[in-house]
Amino acid sequence: MNKKQKNITELICAVVSILTFLILWHIGVKGELGRLMPGPLPVIRMFFATLFGGTIGSRTMIIHILYSLIRVMAGYFLGAAVGVVLGLSMGWSRLVEAVFSPLFRIIRPIPPIAWIPISIIWIGLGEDAKIFLIFLASFCYVTLNAWSGAKNVDPDYLRAARMLGAGKRQLLFTIVLPASIPSIFAGLQVALSSCWATVLAAEMVRSSEGLGWIIIAGMNNNDMVQIMTGILAIGLVGMLLSMIFRKVEARLCQWNKSGS
Amino acid sequence: MEIREKENRQVKVKVSHLTKKFGDLLVLNDISFDVEKGDLLCVVGPTGCGKTTFLNSLTKIYDVTSGEILLDGHPADPKKDHIAYIFQGNSTMPWLTVEQNVAFGLDIRHVPKREKQELTDRYLEIVGLTKYRRYYPKQLSASMLQRVSIARAFATEPELLLMDEPYGQLDIELRFKLEDELVRLWEMTGTTVIFITHNIEEAVYLGEHIMVLTNKPTTVKETMRNPLPRPRDIAAPEFVRLRERVTDLIRWW
Ligand SMILES: Nc1ncnc2c1ncn2[C@@H]1O[C@H](COP(=O)(O)OP(=O)(O)OP(=O)(O)O)[C@@H](O)[C@H]1O
Ligand SMILES: [Mg+2]
Repeated sequence: MNKKQKNITELICAVVSILTFLILWHIGVKGELGRLMPGPLPVIRMFFATLFGGTIGSRTMIIHILYSLIRVMAGYFLGAAVGVVLGLSMGWSRLVEAVFSPLFRIIRPIPPIAWIPISIIWIGLGEDAKIFLIFLASFCYVTLNAWSGAKNVDPDYLRAARMLGAGKRQLLFTIVLPASIPSIFAGLQVALSSCWATVLAAEMVRSSEGLGWIIIAGMNNNDMVQIMTGILAIGLVGMLLSMIFRKVEARLCQWNKSGS
Repeated sequence: MEIREKENRQVKVKVSHLTKKFGDLLVLNDISFDVEKGDLLCVVGPTGCGKTTFLNSLTKIYDVTSGEILLDGHPADPKKDHIAYIFQGNSTMPWLTVEQNVAFGLDIRHVPKREKQELTDRYLEIVGLTKYRRYYPKQLSASMLQRVSIARAFATEPELLLMDEPYGQLDIELRFKLEDELVRLWEMTGTTVIFITHNIEEAVYLGEHIMVLTNKPTTVKETMRNPLPRPRDIAAPEFVRLRERVTDLIRWW
C-alpha cells in the first residue's frame, strides 16, 4: 500500500516536472528566440511522424535508432566480455596484472573519440571501426572495475571458502567472481553511457544513418526541428537503456541491496 | 564408553613447541599438547592471548614462527583434510542465500544433490533458520548469521571441528540448544572438536578436556579432564565444584 502510494507520488511529480519544462519551452520560443529554436510541438510531432511512417533521410526513426543501438550493443558486449575476463584475471593473478596493467594504464585515460581520426585514416570509420571505438569505451571501464572488484574481495570470504576445501579454481568462480559483481556492474553502467556517447560521436563524423547522423544532417540542412528531434530520441533511448540496465542489476545484485 | 576410551588413544592434533610472534610481539610461547582423536577440547584464556592465532596457525592461515602442528601426523591441508572452522566473526557469503550458504561446503566437495539437500535441510532446522532459507545475509541479525556459519560447518560433518567463540553472540536459550546439538553431533560422529570460549560454564558443560591458557606470552596453564557424565547438570554440586576450580585458575591470570 505504502509502496504503491510512493510510486504514484513519484509518477505525478515526473509528469508535472516534464509538463512544466515543455510549457516553459513552448512559451520561451514565442518571441525572438523562436527564430533560432523550434518549440516542443513540432519536435514531438516530427518524432512521432517519423517513428514508423515518415522518414529522415531515407529511413524511419526506428531504423535510425536500431542502427545506433546495434552498433552500441555489439561493441558494448564485446568490450564487457573481454573486460570482465581481463579484469578478473588481473585482480586474481599477480603475473597477469604485472603484464597488462602498465599497458592498460596508458590506454585507459585516452577517451575513445580520440581514436576517431586514426580510425578514419586507417580503415575509413566503417562499421567495424565504429564497433571498435565502442568496444574501447566499454572495455576500459569494465576492465578497471572488474580488476578492482577482484583485488578487493574481502579476504574473510576467501579464507572461509579455503577452509571448506575450495581449490584455486573454485575460489575464482565461487568467491572472486560473485564478490566482484557489484563492482563490475558499476563499470558496466558507466561503460553503457560512455558507449552511447561514443556511437553518437562516431556517427556524427562519418555515417549515413543513426541518431548521430540525424543531428549532423539536420545541421547541414539548417533544420533545427530535425536536430532537436534527434536530441530527443537520444535522450529517450539513453533513458530506456539505463532503465533496463537498472532492472537487470536489481535482479543480479539483489543480495547487495540493503532492505527492501 | 569402554570402546571409546580405546579408540581415543590416537592423537588427532599434535602441537609441539609451537611459537608464534607477530614482529616483536611474542604471542604463543613454546606450547606443546596433544588433542586425542574424538576429544572435545574446550580452550579458555584471557582475551588477546592467542586463541584465534592458534586456530589460524593450525589451519595454515598464519605461518608459525617455530615448532609445528600436525594433524594425523602431517601438516594440515584444508583441501584434503576434512576440517570445518567457525570463525569468531561473520563469514557468510553475502551473495548467497541462507540455504546456499549452508550448502556451500557441500558444493565445494561435490556432495550429490540429494544428500546435499538432506544435510542442508537438517542443519537449517537444527539452527532454527528453515523459515529464513531464502533470505540474504544482509537481512539477518548477527546471531542469525552466526547460526548460518554453524550450520554450514556442521553440514560438512567434518573430522576436525574448530570453533572460535561460536556462541558468544547468541541468547541463552539458543546457546543451550546449540551446545546440546554440538554434544549430540560429537557423540554421533566421533568428530574431534576444539572449542574456544570465554564462558567457563560453557567450557565445563561441553568439554571432555578443558585447557586453560595464561596471559601473553602464552603457555598452557593447565589441562584437565572433565569426568562428569553426560547429560551434564549445571546445578549439580560436582559441576559447580569443577566450574569453581577453572574459575580459580583463571583468577590467577
Ligand atoms: N595478523 C596479526 N598481526 C599482528 N598481530 C596480531 C595478528 N593477529 C593477532 N595479533 C595479535 O596477537 C595477539 C593474539 O590475538 P588473538 O586474536 O589470537 O587473540 P584471542 O586470544 O583470539 O583474543 P580474543 O579472546 O579477544 O578473541 C593479540 O595481541 C593481537 O593483537
Ligand atoms: Mg579470538
